[in-house]
Amino acid sequence: MNEFLTLNVSASGMTAQRLRIDVISSNIANSESTRTEQGTPYRRRVPIFSEYLMGMGRVKSSGVKVTRIEEDPSPFRLVYDPTHPDANEDGYVSMPNVNVLREMVDLISAQRSYDANVAAFNVTKAMISSALQIGRG
Amino acid sequence: MIEKISNVNQNVSSLGQGSQKKSEVDFASILKDALDKVNQVQKSAEQASADFALGKISNIHEVIIEAEKATIALRLTNEVRNRIVQAYQEIMRMQL
Repeated sequence: MNEFLTLNVSASGMTAQRLRIDVISSNIANSESTRTEQGTPYRRRVPIFSEYLMGMGRVKSSGVKVTRIEEDPSPFRLVYDPTHPDANEDGYVSMPNVNVLREMVDLISAQRSYDANVAAFNVTKAMISSALQIGRG
Repeated sequence: MIEKISNVNQNVSSLGQGSQKKSEVDFASILKDALDKVNQVQKSAEQASADFALGKISNIHEVIIEAEKATIALRLTNEVRNRIVQAYQEIMRMQL
């Protein structure tokens, strides 16, 4: 049913934004992690969104899905702190390339996108409800 | 009349596969088919909330959306049923 197809598209948007919030949360949580399993400081992670077609037959709608989560290749922040155990010979520590301010802005954007998907869902639902009212009154 | 009702039902039955029903298929089987589909939607909503309780689903919206779909499908079924009963009563009231 086409109405359900639209609902599924909104649902895919919500799932994607939810995952984005998860990734941002782990970026914020690890903004000070100087050690990871690879031995380097934590690298900021970015979810990659891609379009995918939903539905069969003539009607196709574009949903969204997260194809992969990639690492931000930008250089690490160097902080001068000779007392840190991970400091190099010159006393500099490589900190993760996470900018907490930017992550907060991304968080707001993800939340607003989630809300937008919920709004689209509600509009579709309201349309179905009024379609069921046809011929009643 | 029956043909019109079966058109409405085709909308319901196109939930799953897009099998084109010809009008020679009897009304009872179309109705049964549609009810089965609605039942499926109800069951998947139930399954979603059970999975959420068991921790298999971490996204709350998936559960809510399944429940919404179930509600909509049931309302559509109810609406179709009301129209059929109304038509039946209309015929029964006919003066012979």
